Amino acid sequence: MGPYRVSMDIGGTFTDVVAYDESGGVFHAGKSSTTPEDLTEGVLNALGSIVRSPSDISFMVHGTTQGLNALLERRGVKVLLLATAGASDTYHIARGPRTRLYDLHFRKPEPLLPLRDIVPVGGRFSAEGVELEPLEEAAVRAAAKRFANEGFGAIAVGYLFSYKNPAHELRTREILVEELGADITISLSHEAAKEWREYERTSSAVIEAYTGPVVRRYLSRLEQSLDEQGLTVPLHVMQSSGGILTAESAQKRPLQTLLSGPVGGTMGGAALAKALGTPNLICVDMGGTSFDVSLVVDGEPVVSPEASLEGLPMLMSVVDIHTIGAGGGSIAWIEAEGLRVGPQSAGADPGPACYGRGGEQPTVTDANLALGRVDADWFAGGHLSLDLEPAKTALAALGHKLGLDVIQTAEGICDVANAKMAQAIRTITVSRGIEPREFTLVAFGGAGPMHAVFLAEELGISEVVVPRFPGAFSAWGMLQTEIRKDFSEPYFFVDEDLDRADMAAQFTAMDRTAMESLAGEGVPEHSRRTAHAVDIRYVEQEYTLTVPVLEVDEPLREDFLEVISKRFAEQHESRYGHANLGAPVEFVTLRTIALGDLGQAETERIAATAGEDFPREIRTVVFDRTERDTLLVRRDDLLPGHTFDGPAIVLEGTATTVVPPGHQVTADDIGSLVIRSKEQ
Amino acid sequence: MSNQKPIDPVVVEIIRNALKSSADDMNAILIRSAYTPLIYECGDCVVALLDDQHQVLGQSAGLPIFLGNLETCTKATEERFGREVWQPGDVWILNDSYLGGTHLNDVTIFGPVFVDGELVGFTASRAHWIDVGSKDPGGSMDSTSIFQEGLRLGPQKLVEGGREVHQVIDTISTNVRFPYPTMGDMRGMIACITMGQQRLEEIVRRWGLETLRAARDEIFAQTERLEREVIRGIPDGIYTAEGFLDNDGVDLDTPIPVKLKITVSGEDIEFDVTESADQTVGPVNCGTSQTVSACRVGYKLLVSPDVPGNGGSFRPMTVQVREGSVFGAQAPAACQWYFSHLGLLIDLVAKALAPALPDKVAGASHGDSMIVLVAGRDPRTERDYVSLEATLGGWGAWEGSDGESALINNVNGSLKDIPTEVFETRFPFRITEYGFRPNSGGAGKWRGGNGVIREYEALEDCTVSLWFERSITPAWGLFGGAGATPPEVIVNPGRPDERRLLKCNGLRLRNGDVFRCHTGGGGGFGDPGERDPEAVRIDVLDGQVSAAAAREVYSVG
Repeated sequence: MGPYRVSMDIGGTFTDVVAYDESGGVFHAGKSSTTPEDLTEGVLNALGSIVRSPSDISFMVHGTTQGLNALLERRGVKVLLLATAGASDTYHIARGPRTRLYDLHFRKPEPLLPLRDIVPVGGRFSAEGVELEPLEEAAVRAAAKRFANEGFGAIAVGYLFSYKNPAHELRTREILVEELGADITISLSHEAAKEWREYERTSSAVIEAYTGPVVRRYLSRLEQSLDEQGLTVPLHVMQSSGGILTAESAQKRPLQTLLSGPVGGTMGGAALAKALGTPNLICVDMGGTSFDVSLVVDGEPVVSPEASLEGLPMLMSVVDIHTIGAGGGSIAWIEAEGLRVGPQSAGADPGPACYGRGGEQPTVTDANLALGRVDADWFAGGHLSLDLEPAKTALAALGHKLGLDVIQTAEGICDVANAKMAQAIRTITVSRGIEPREFTLVAFGGAGPMHAVFLAEELGISEVVVPRFPGAFSAWGMLQTEIRKDFSEPYFFVDEDLDRADMAAQFTAMDRTAMESLAGEGVPEHSRRTAHAVDIRYVEQEYTLTVPVLEVDEPLREDFLEVISKRFAEQHESRYGHANLGAPVEFVTLRTIALGDLGQAETERIAATAGEDFPREIRTVVFDRTERDTLLVRRDDLLPGHTFDGPAIVLEGTATTVVPPGHQVTADDIGSLVIRSKEQ
Repeated sequence: MSNQKPIDPVVVEIIRNALKSSADDMNAILIRSAYTPLIYECGDCVVALLDDQHQVLGQSAGLPIFLGNLETCTKATEERFGREVWQPGDVWILNDSYLGGTHLNDVTIFGPVFVDGELVGFTASRAHWIDVGSKDPGGSMDSTSIFQEGLRLGPQKLVEGGREVHQVIDTISTNVRFPYPTMGDMRGMIACITMGQQRLEEIVRRWGLETLRAARDEIFAQTERLEREVIRGIPDGIYTAEGFLDNDGVDLDTPIPVKLKITVSGEDIEFDVTESADQTVGPVNCGTSQTVSACRVGYKLLVSPDVPGNGGSFRPMTVQVREGSVFGAQAPAACQWYFSHLGLLIDLVAKALAPALPDKVAGASHGDSMIVLVAGRDPRTERDYVSLEATLGGWGAWEGSDGESALINNVNGSLKDIPTEVFETRFPFRITEYGFRPNSGGAGKWRGGNGVIREYEALEDCTVSLWFERSITPAWGLFGGAGATPPEVIVNPGRPDERRLLKCNGLRLRNGDVFRCHTGGGGGFGDPGERDPEAVRIDVLDGQVSAAAAREVYSVG
């Protein structure tokens, strides 16, 4: 047995682990309660039944929500911001859009530090990076004194044009280190995000400074603790980009880990696309309070060069995940005598009425329970048992006002919630020029498989896949990734002004840096590779598309401008539905990605086939306002080739799959449930 | 409607969401397929699904100023040509300011929806076209007649029986300065209404026309109930407010009065703007339907900010407009700068109703786009450039919160400022200062937001055009809150040739010249004497209020 490749997803309540036995080629999933005092205890408990000792682990990866939670709960450190004098209000002006158009009481997203904690520092560069005014070093030294006297936890530095000339930001760090020592957290904007647009770049640096110390403390404690338990390999951390980094590198660039939690699911989707031979997937991850949608197109996750959290922008590569306010906890209520579902959620506390914690408003989970679509004793793998009576009471009270009985109310709530989720998915796909009918729906998270087939029906999607370990799918996805480091270089040129030789030289230099960085990540030489791209837009546009450049020397080709413009136009056509071939384009940013293959867990093909029939029970579940005899199946009993028709409920440790009438379920050889409409 | 059998509330809610999301999908397809950034980046557009009686079934959030005047376009077409004019596979276009209400750049494209030969409704989209052939590229700040403002189209068929009408399309493309992107936008709008037709057809086929109509009646009734409940809470009576535009952009010495009288009676509310100025020579006029929209925006901000608009919206309200006034402009009044007086009107709604809705209103905002347009030649690229930007300003305070500082005005939706790094890279200028303008927000228990200071140094000879407004009626305070500081622009401050102005067209600047723009703040709310002294101390630390003002106005420090 062993060695094992292990991933861990440490949530607020539960810790999920997935381990891949490299000798046997078999996956195992484990779950235990999270142990906040010493997180490794929870990890070891979850691993306990699978891996005897951390020394048997050959590779380990982790997705953390520590930084994200610190930001969402505003528990980061107190940050002092140094900004260019004359432009030091930029971080609070925040470019001034009013994103809620009918809100007379609109407030901007709350910044992470107040105006009085911004220190104006003299010193200025031109747009070309020529120094116009030297750095006001005395102001930096004064800021260091303030830092020491007023209990700050980190410093962010965001100067104008630092992406063009970082000299002042670098000198500022030297002075701060002289004054304060090397241990303090300093985030320089050109290092956090080497791109133009001072507000967005400064915001990236501030977020990094604000969450960085929290992430660092956490990662170093976790790694130390795992080492003490005998882990001999480096710990890797999932990044927002979908790649991984060593924990050591992640501590240097903690911003990159901010969205590492949910990204695992999308990466799992990409791996599943390969295993299934189905390149286009809509991935839905539904838990108690949130519903995340992401897309895999042509086998690749959709990645954006920027994102925002709580309205605060960050310039970094991020797997595109759309969060919709829907989930098992969405509350049904009445407005102007009409039924409404969500977006308010009962959350985890008090939670749905059936949690028995005092929740009185009926939720989607209560509705599913009343319909018999969830098993009261099997919810969350038996970690939580549900109480039918309070659910029925809450549903009856609401139904009374609408003239509906409990069953009509419950199924009505589910129907409305499903229709709303499906519409949200459709708007996301339409805005990317994608027809959902041509995609396969992959559902995971505890509640995803409960609603997936209904969503597919609404969207006209004919195939739904519920992967193995749907409740631990994010952790599984983390085992399907590789080392990734992103490098960018602002490079502003209108097309005909482009110096092709210079662009090639820039790429060559970036390629060298990128390859060297992989050595630092412990990637063997033969497993290192790079990919290059340039952000392009039509003149006058603000947003860019990232267009691949095939090799560092490609810009040297005589016809490069023509070739790259055409490549851009094709991408524009597919993203926006039209292109403007021949119109002037602008180059904005050069990008290089370093990728290092550390080996991946092979998708396990289950050799056993369905010989005998599987055990089954019959229970009553409501579909279309009618109580139907419904097949109850344990997922562990299913082998490749087993097939059955809905109505059916498939139970397993981490999730429940609901199959309405008119659908057929097949267990495939990688352990997925494939559900198809029988009409097609 | 009361005689019908009750409809399943679940079906109503599913249809309500389907109509709303169909509009969202139409909007997504328009933004996705538009060619010009004004549409796909600023969202200067709106879409709607209408029923066969021209009532709104679903509408995208869109630009507020476009609220609820798409139906006037289908209605006007029907009034002009009769109901039998609607034929399957046809698509129509219209931009006449006196029908559509806004300036000629706002083009509406719409078409009927037929299911099995029966007219079931319409879909419509409106978007701002970058140029429609006005005397100056993109539009003028000093036009005096609609005939200077570009191509003016009454209802025309763009597509007939599924085939494009080439004569009409050719006429349009030869009359606009940038035909390539404009025709792209036009086809994006056609794609958008076609997608809406499919969505509406799917809904009709899934649920049946009878169910759809029953659900529609219930959806409208729900919206109406919500709005009437708010109106009932407003004591009966007459509520008035007035203000002035500085001028019409042509005759710079004559202020333009805008007067609003709101009459509340039971569940009904009437907006009367008939006492406002006669239509002006300069371009601050608009058609009646746009005035109705502006009143609706002012109303919606207070009455139903969170309710998606539909045919049940605005049922309690009526609007009285006088023909020949700035709000009911008649041909050939110039309409290019139609939003300055409408912006003021929207703000006046909150002022008028403040006594009745003290917890919903806010002090006034800085109020206008505060446009800076620079043009010239950049020697670095040897290319001509033009830059047009709106400048941020302060918004008003309300019970429980200070106003927001440095925010875009109402009419520009979610537009962002241009970063200094982008501006200096693209244009031969240096932004020598960009920050909050201290003390510019009105004092109060809750302080108005501050405007900004943005200073430009020209690095090459160039021209600048400005449209800064609201110096005669700067943002007012409410309930004892003070008014805000008005805007101010200074050219070459501190030099012998220093001058102050707010509007100009093509002013020449030389290399080294500087202009410094100050935008107004927002109005305060409540007596400044009641402000928490700690909040005043923080304002001073934050540089938002000077130490002197803290002492003089708030007696703190």
